[in-house]
Amino acid sequence: MLGAAGIGGPIGRAFLLVGLVGALFGFVSCVMGMRQKDEKVLRLSLRFATLSAVSAVGAFVAMEYAMITRDFSLDYIQKVGSRSTPALYNFTAVWSALEGSILMWLLALALMTAWVAWRYRAKVTDPLVATALATMFVTAFFFFLLTIGPANPFAPGESGVTDGPGPNPLLQNHILVLFHPPILYIGYVGFTIPFAFAIGALVTGRLGEGWLLETRRWALFSWGFLTFGIVLGGWWSYEVLGWSGVWAWDPVENASLLPWITGTAYIHSVLVQERRGMLRVWNLSLLVATFSLTILGTFLTRSGILNSVHAFSESDIGPYLLTFFAIVVVVSLVLIGWRGDRLRSPGIIDSPMSREGAFLANNVLFSVFAFVVLLGTVFPLIVEALQNRQIVVGEPFFDSLATPIGIVMLFLMCIAPVLPWRKASTELLSQRLFWPAWCGVAALAVAVLLGATGLEPLLTFALGGFATGAALRQLVLATRRQKWRGLVGRANGGMIVHIGVIMISVALAASNSYTRSQELTLAKGVPASFGGHTFELKGFVEESDARRTSIKVDVSIDGGKSYRPAIHKFTSMGQNVGTPSVKSSWSKDIYLTLEPPVKPTSDEAKIKVFIKPMMTWMWAGGILMAIGTVLSAFPGRRRRPTDPVSAPVPSALTGTSL
Amino acid sequence: MNDRENLAVVNVASVARSRRSSLIAAAVGVVVALFFVVLVVSSPEDRETAASPLLGNPAPVVKSTTLDNAQFDLSRRRGSWVMFNFFNSTCVPCRQEHPELVAFHEAQTSVATPTELYSIINDDSDNAVRAFFDANNGDWPKVRDDDGSIAVAFGVAKVPETWIIDPNGFVRMRFIGAVTKDLLTEKVTELQAAFEGM
Amino acid sequence: MGSSQAKPLSARLKSWPMWMFMTIVTVCLLAVGAGRESGPLTQQERIDVITKRLACPTCDGESVFVSQASAAVNIKNEVARQVASGQRNDEQIVAYIEERFGGRVLLVPRATGFDSLVWVLPVSVLVCSVAGLAAAFRRWRREQGLVPSDDDRAMVARLLAEEPEDHDEVPW
Repeated sequence: MLGAAGIGGPIGRAFLLVGLVGALFGFVSCVMGMRQKDEKVLRLSLRFATLSAVSAVGAFVAMEYAMITRDFSLDYIQKVGSRSTPALYNFTAVWSALEGSILMWLLALALMTAWVAWRYRAKVTDPLVATALATMFVTAFFFFLLTIGPANPFAPGESGVTDGPGPNPLLQNHILVLFHPPILYIGYVGFTIPFAFAIGALVTGRLGEGWLLETRRWALFSWGFLTFGIVLGGWWSYEVLGWSGVWAWDPVENASLLPWITGTAYIHSVLVQERRGMLRVWNLSLLVATFSLTILGTFLTRSGILNSVHAFSESDIGPYLLTFFAIVVVVSLVLIGWRGDRLRSPGIIDSPMSREGAFLANNVLFSVFAFVVLLGTVFPLIVEALQNRQIVVGEPFFDSLATPIGIVMLFLMCIAPVLPWRKASTELLSQRLFWPAWCGVAALAVAVLLGATGLEPLLTFALGGFATGAALRQLVLATRRQKWRGLVGRANGGMIVHIGVIMISVALAASNSYTRSQELTLAKGVPASFGGHTFELKGFVEESDARRTSIKVDVSIDGGKSYRPAIHKFTSMGQNVGTPSVKSSWSKDIYLTLEPPVKPTSDEAKIKVFIKPMMTWMWAGGILMAIGTVLSAFPGRRRRPTDPVSAPVPSALTGTSL
Repeated sequence: MNDRENLAVVNVASVARSRRSSLIAAAVGVVVALFFVVLVVSSPEDRETAASPLLGNPAPVVKSTTLDNAQFDLSRRRGSWVMFNFFNSTCVPCRQEHPELVAFHEAQTSVATPTELYSIINDDSDNAVRAFFDANNGDWPKVRDDDGSIAVAFGVAKVPETWIIDPNGFVRMRFIGAVTKDLLTEKVTELQAAFEGM
Repeated sequence: MGSSQAKPLSARLKSWPMWMFMTIVTVCLLAVGAGRESGPLTQQERIDVITKRLACPTCDGESVFVSQASAAVNIKNEVARQVASGQRNDEQIVAYIEERFGGRVLLVPRATGFDSLVWVLPVSVLVCSVAGLAAAFRRWRREQGLVPSDDDRAMVARLLAEEPEDHDEVPW
């Protein structure tokens, strides 16, 4: 309707322009209001934030409307829309390519800016809050600029086009496409808020704990979404892509992992700042790094500089993102350098055998991990820029470095929960670690009895058992003391998250080391066996509709239920996409793929069978992490703001403390 | 020492500490700046070269059937110049260069030493290929490469690619990407002249 | 908190001989497990191991094992053929593919020349950070011993009384 009238595009673009203006004026109102100490001007910022948010929503709705009504007057719809795509995948096609995903990022960002403006409307006269809000407006302005300029989703397309190819076939296979990108984006964009408050704190010099406490829950919320988004991505890779793995160290996956690494270090290290007012430079740097890495990740994956499964298309968005990244990093470095003195904490870490010491070691370990992942991702670029030749840095590099780092992380998870603050004696440690250590030995014994091999996986199992023991010990003690309240709160929720992480690590170790695979040529009615299971080809199933023709084979496992791996051929893209079929149980997954070429007339089919131990533990671990994160967000023991546990800030020039 | 001197000592100590931290900040800044330079310099263009370890060496064994179910064996083409064009009917540059190949092939009928042109087809359906050639001319043999062994033997990852093999069975030239009739004619003439001169 | 009541049994349990015993058991178990035969058992697994070392030449980063691109499938088929013929070992098959497609088909660059940096840098960063941590802990250990004297305290109090109050201000 609007499309026929040709105004769908201009309406969307109008929304974006209004949003751009709203973000600009919001920034101006914050700055001028602070300068002139004019409360009325500051209060205008809430109006502008609302305006920007409404515009972003309007633009997104306009895009979805154009997609749903197949408005082919827009270039973007010509790229990813199609009359034959089912409704669900058509809806999600909006974020299947560059311009639409920037629009989704913008939607999240504008809504969050409005939320910050609304939530702190009573405190907007506080320069810290006003500066934070101004920072958010600047970020929103940048992303609005992207959608007006290089990544315009409402650009008009060639006239006379009546149908399109639809989104990438890999994005039309599974309902996860509805959840994984939005959840991931909420995680990415969510870190803008703690970053904005960090900038506010640096600029105003109010580096005490107040700004940190305000945004603690928000940082945890974003981290939780980012974690869950990454786990969902792994699940998608497993269920949809058909190569039987969950993580390929693909540049886009690395781009999502990098902010997760620094974000995880941050949410741990922040506890030291709350408790003892230390590690402030670390925390600010980690927060700045996390936000910068989300921008850098967007740059690496959208500028076409690297190609991967997710990379969309080449566009001149690269210079914009790189410039914004540069500005963020330079401004943050200058601010941290300038305020460096005020960040000096009065305390020192008394002993490495203390919780602060463990968290500091944790920071260092995670920073090294982030460095390794970043280096591996950009090293091919560096080599090409300097020596003009192409190399690849792939899985073996990352796996061989990440595995020892992961093992050290597991070790930290074993001892950190039992370490007291300030100092620990060996007697105390040996008391507290005793039963957890035996859990580790038990886990190792079970693994060896079941026939496990290899030093690295065995170490993983042993340390995993040990760390689980340490986490359970904490939970048992807490529930004994506080009943159900022993499961909520930062420490206890965190232990549940740790158990989830341990389950994932153990599952990864097991499936990476002990997967058995075989290619079987099945003749109809003749069972073949592998790995203790029999596989029988029951028949072929062919389906076709407007957008794809599929051929599936019916394979009965152990004479029971049938599983149907398939190959789909998408008519508009000429691409073949394989879909696996998985039989899951707690001990292992039997993963089937259909191998081309398939000849239904010949009564024979080639399938590939993977027997992957403990995969279900990975997804269970992911769910535990989600549950643990939610439980962490609940207040544990009630902390009052004047609780002496928070160290007062000795501001160098004033006598006040926060 | 009086108070002012003591304060000076304390100040020097804290300046030393903050100098160290600004050194660290500067170091981080330099690393990040270098990083920018690298990223700014690198570009998303296609990066391919026409080198190959096969150049100047005997061509790999190529034994297969054509779409018309005739046998094809490269070793039996000794004595003629052979041109392989790696092709796929869904590949856009292949379709774009096709008229150039047709023109080149037609010109071979009036040339002293004609070059035999063969298309190597991998990961494509017979019907699609036949339909394409029916609609766009081109009556040279199309060699099947169903398992990709010919593509791997030549190290061909992306189509289109065009290779020239001399009458002794040695690989002489590799073109990555779409070609034109003029380019092919020019290069073939050069190679033939060099070959005669040997 | 746990067994802080010094029951003789649990105190005895947690003593250092028990820890020694635990360590010995762990080391034995690890030795048994790590010493076992491991490695590809089927032809397909050997193919998987090899294809996990090769990069798909048209994908920029994916391994041949992961990728479904036609070039990757071709390479996979070639590896399968060579594994089935049993003529070459893993290194030779990788070299065969590398010879034809160039260095870009290696999933990790050979550790020579500039490319070795990709291994050297992480290791040196790790060493430096561990050293830095150790140095920091040692410095804090030393600083712990420092105690401000009464003179120091008096000086600081005097100077604080002299300095004018400066409110935190936004710099503009």
